[in-house]
Amino acid sequence: MRWPIPALLLSLLALTAPLQAKEELVTLPKRDTVQLTIYNSVDLTLVRETRELTFKKGNNRLQFSWANTLIDPTSVEFNALTNPDKIEVLDTSYPAESNQMLIWTISSEEAVSAKVEISYFTSGISWGAEYHGMLSGDERSMKLTAYVSVSNRSGEEYENATVRLVVGSINLVEEIAALGGGGRQERMKEAYGKMREADAAENRKKDIVKEGLSEYYIYTVEGQETIPNQWSKRLESFVQEGVPLRTVYTWDARKYGAQLVKLLVFKNDEAHKLGREPLPAGIVRLYRDAGQGRLGFVGQVATNYIPKNDEVKVNAGADPEVQLKSKRLSFKKENLTFGWSGNRQYLAGWDTVEGFELELKNFRKRDVDFEVNVVLGGDFDFDSETASSKIDFQTQRFSLNLKAGENRKVAYTVRTRNGSNVRNK
Amino acid sequence: MKRNYQLPITNDQFRSAPRRPSQLVIGNWLLVICCSLLFPATLNAKEELVTLPQRDSVQLTIYNSEDLTLVRERRTLSFKQGNNRLQFSWANTLIDPTSVEFHPVGKDAQDALEVLDASYPAESHEMLIWTVACTKPAGYSVEISYFTSGISWSAEYTGIVDAAEGSMDLTAYVTVHNNSGEEYENAQVRLVVGVIHMVERIIDLAQPRQQGAPRPMPPAELEELERMAEDGINEDPGTGMAKPKEIQKAGLSEYYIYTVEGQETIPNRWSKRLRSFVVQDVPLKTVYRLEPDKFGPSFTKVLEFKNDEEHKLGKEPLPDGLIRLYKDAGQGRLGYMGTLASKYIPKNEEVKINVGPDAECTLKEKRLSLRKKDLVLDQWNRLVGWTTVEDFELEVRNFRGRDVEVEIHRSMQGKFEFDSEDAWEKHDADTQKIHFTLKAGESRKLTFKVTTKNGENAR
Amino acid sequence: MNKRMIFTLAGTAALASVIGISRPTTVEARIKLATLPDKEAVVVRFDHPNQVLVEEERTISLQKGVNTVDFSWAGTNIDKGSIVFRPVDVNSKVEILSTSYPPGEAALTWSISSPDARSEKFRLSYLMANIQRETDYRAIVSNDEKTLTFRHYFKIRNWSGGTFDSADFITRDGKTFEKGLDQGEAKRVLVNKWDKVNLNKEYVYDLTRQYEGKVMTDYVLKNTKEMGLGAIPLEYGKVRIYQDDGKGTTAFTGEDWGQFTAVGDDMRLNIGIAQDIKVEFKKMVNDVENRRGNVYDTNEVDEYEIKNFKDSEVELTLVLRVQGEWEMQKDSEGYTSFERVDNETIKFKVKAPAKGAPVKLKFHYKRLNNW
Repeated sequence: MRWPIPALLLSLLALTAPLQAKEELVTLPKRDTVQLTIYNSVDLTLVRETRELTFKKGNNRLQFSWANTLIDPTSVEFNALTNPDKIEVLDTSYPAESNQMLIWTISSEEAVSAKVEISYFTSGISWGAEYHGMLSGDERSMKLTAYVSVSNRSGEEYENATVRLVVGSINLVEEIAALGGGGRQERMKEAYGKMREADAAENRKKDIVKEGLSEYYIYTVEGQETIPNQWSKRLESFVQEGVPLRTVYTWDARKYGAQLVKLLVFKNDEAHKLGREPLPAGIVRLYRDAGQGRLGFVGQVATNYIPKNDEVKVNAGADPEVQLKSKRLSFKKENLTFGWSGNRQYLAGWDTVEGFELELKNFRKRDVDFEVNVVLGGDFDFDSETASSKIDFQTQRFSLNLKAGENRKVAYTVRTRNGSNVRNK
Repeated sequence: MKRNYQLPITNDQFRSAPRRPSQLVIGNWLLVICCSLLFPATLNAKEELVTLPQRDSVQLTIYNSEDLTLVRERRTLSFKQGNNRLQFSWANTLIDPTSVEFHPVGKDAQDALEVLDASYPAESHEMLIWTVACTKPAGYSVEISYFTSGISWSAEYTGIVDAAEGSMDLTAYVTVHNNSGEEYENAQVRLVVGVIHMVERIIDLAQPRQQGAPRPMPPAELEELERMAEDGINEDPGTGMAKPKEIQKAGLSEYYIYTVEGQETIPNRWSKRLRSFVVQDVPLKTVYRLEPDKFGPSFTKVLEFKNDEEHKLGKEPLPDGLIRLYKDAGQGRLGYMGTLASKYIPKNEEVKINVGPDAECTLKEKRLSLRKKDLVLDQWNRLVGWTTVEDFELEVRNFRGRDVEVEIHRSMQGKFEFDSEDAWEKHDADTQKIHFTLKAGESRKLTFKVTTKNGENAR
Repeated sequence: MNKRMIFTLAGTAALASVIGISRPTTVEARIKLATLPDKEAVVVRFDHPNQVLVEEERTISLQKGVNTVDFSWAGTNIDKGSIVFRPVDVNSKVEILSTSYPPGEAALTWSISSPDARSEKFRLSYLMANIQRETDYRAIVSNDEKTLTFRHYFKIRNWSGGTFDSADFITRDGKTFEKGLDQGEAKRVLVNKWDKVNLNKEYVYDLTRQYEGKVMTDYVLKNTKEMGLGAIPLEYGKVRIYQDDGKGTTAFTGEDWGQFTAVGDDMRLNIGIAQDIKVEFKKMVNDVENRRGNVYDTNEVDEYEIKNFKDSEVELTLVLRVQGEWEMQKDSEGYTSFERVDNETIKFKVKAPAKGAPVKLKFHYKRLNNW
């Protein structure tokens, strides 16, 4: 049995009054259970372990040490799960000679056996989500598989642990790795070199139970897991067939640069056969069936946390079969106004009038949706025969649908007032 | 350190071995007085030596504003008819050579003795020779005085504040620091409170390189102080149990002199702390103050009393020094409140001790609104004048379980009008102030409006 | 012959402070003999925010006349100017005549006069450096987030150079615990525990606290007796928050620095980001108007689209800021209440319906008299 962590030492010291007295070491009890609660927003894992301990009447001294681990000494807690009314922690002492050890003075009303829990924070274990979407041939739906991967770079092997994953962004005011003391950087480096993925092929797929707690979700992995040091282990979180997918060709210089990009859009809701839980932040990769069982890569996006009912957009990049070109067809100045400075006349105000043309081409053999965002500045009037909507004070949007093989031109004019022509609206 | 008293020595011995251990040894340097009678009056003539007399008494007058101590010592010397040559040397000391003086003590001595000259031999800058004419041979008491550096004193105070912060027991101490290299045994100690004017530093005058510098005249006030010394001694036989020494305080010109009862021995490099006075139950007031000019930008707790009779003080000014405040934590136990450096506190002056912000009594200022009005444009349509109207709110919250007094000073800038329904009063041209009492657990909001004219509007 | 006795702290090998006594003589040979009165009734006080006052009692045998008592503290960080030494009996006939400080030593000598030979108990108070203190809290929040159990811990670490075999440690709020504390050792003690403390949960959008515009989850504790606290001011310290997960165990849900909180005041703790509530900001109107020379007003409409993806409605507080002179316009809408906190700050409360149905806060305002 590799667990308990060899470096963690729990000893019960029979207490005779003075500190200098000879300490009697009581048989080290076995660890009964261990539970890992792993956070993904910060480098933090809460470890809880339970043991059965026997206390004698009066004061008992319990020593807990954790040399060569990444445990945060300020986080170590003792809790009596049974007989809590008879057992009380009087103080926690951190001896000078070791910063990786503490001693609890525990008073017990009578000689009892109790199940106790010791909990602490450690760093070096993390988890992340990944999503794998297989598009249907018509790109109108996909099979979505969600995974969670647990990576253990803590320096310890966790055997037969209950694993809980917390989805959410908790506030930490100090890094656990810093509180856990030195040696961490070296260990991380070493670990990265050796990291490899554990064989995901287990006898049976495990369920992951998802529950909400405050602003977070807790994913509990069914049964127990063993995660050796420097290993990553990937578990399937869910699989969903036939998730409907929408394709929108989007032109938005502020988000995607000057090119027209293909966005594959779905929602984390019931209509999309999802929406049972939020989707933790992770990489979404989309593939298409390239025939003969081969995969073709379509695109990927690193998503933030996706709440239930929220939308996901995966950028599949530029598509040569769908094009957009923008041209300025005309430019003129109007309404020139002049002022006098002494006996010299100068140009005080003018309007510019520009005519633009957007040319959209759909070479695909299916209808496509466009979303074209035009960003403007200054005191302007926007005018077009094609319907558009105002997104904010400087953005107009054309939402268009082009049939298979269709070409379309959209014209608009922009009048911008300059100098003294800027209006007092 | 024991003093060894002198065997007769010859002038030759003296010249060749001025630091012989058989001479008067003081600390790690030598102070030598050699009294010789000379017949005839040439330096090379054979000298007859007299027994070197004991120092009868020594008095130290220590200044705290300057590194300066006036030393007076008295000895009884035998003089012969005619001219007596008296040699005084001070190798390896911090004595100011320009300050060394010789005075006969008492009417007989003054009638019989006259200093004809003081000569400073070329071969030694740490020696002088007085030629003293004597009309009636006898033993006379003489006083030699000089300035030295390396001895200083400072004041300290300990205040123990009662639980209600309504009064305190104040103990004042004086501490004498002796780094002069000399052990002063059984010296009468006098301390001068006040800032005297010195044109040169004693430590510089004591250095050999300063030889030949013009002799500075001691300030007139010092001469006066020296005369004061004649009647300062207050010795008490002290029968029965010893009591802490009285420190007598007397005023003089711009200074105060504290005279320590009896005699003190202060070994070289030691400090000695003596109790100056104890006053029980000095009435104390706590005021929470926002006064940026005096106490910085924070709303701060200030303990206040006055150096006057009403506060059981006022008998003398309080020299500058550290005030350490403790509070009575019950059963004679103490809690620490704070330490601060106090300036010289004249009689009848208020003392305000800033003990720092208190999280249990807070003040917060908010600007509730800003409006601009009376905008004035010039002929080129440029803004040249405007008036701002700002509403402010000050909220003072007292989380303590007792009433507190609060005083707030609020300064404004520029050409402003101040308007409030609260009882503010004008403190100076730019500052309004308000003083009130806030009950336990209460808070109070003060509001005021500041109208400021800017640019053309301020003309 | 000098007769001088020395007292150590407690007879341990690590000798910290020493009291010796001798007949009055000059001090050229300060011989320290070893008959040691024990330190009694040692008290270590933390009532000052950054100084630690130690008090101890010593019983000293005095002879009639003037006694010299020697106190030395080599190796420990005692502030010698702070030493207060006095008989425990306020009516004692014993007097302390003077205090002398030898050169280059962590020591002093008192000159004490006594009317007769007697045994007198003295109390010695002094500031000691390098005794560190730290407050921290553990909160266990109920599963429904309505109440919590609040535990207050006090931790002291002793780097002073001295050893406390047994001392009463007194916290700022007067809690006393008796412990021993070695040099270098730290001890953490539970000093207060409050059950069923009422808790307010708030969702806050405030760019000055979270510049990315994410919504924060705050717990607000009112430090009053009615709300389950309130007996003492709460010291500054880290608060670690756990929540009952409804299965007999808890999960850590975040931590924050708890600011010093006077009785009656609020302690606000950010536990983390509420990721299921999203706020999207758009400026819909940004016009200049009412030009007078180089002076102008602006007309601005800021729109905050709030989506609450939770299964139930929530109330969101938006703390927004506008600089300078400005007025909110009456056609602002979408909020349930607002408060102009100060000239620059306005606080809106918005009810956000469940399941992502968007709600818009329209904040229409004019900034006046800019130049």
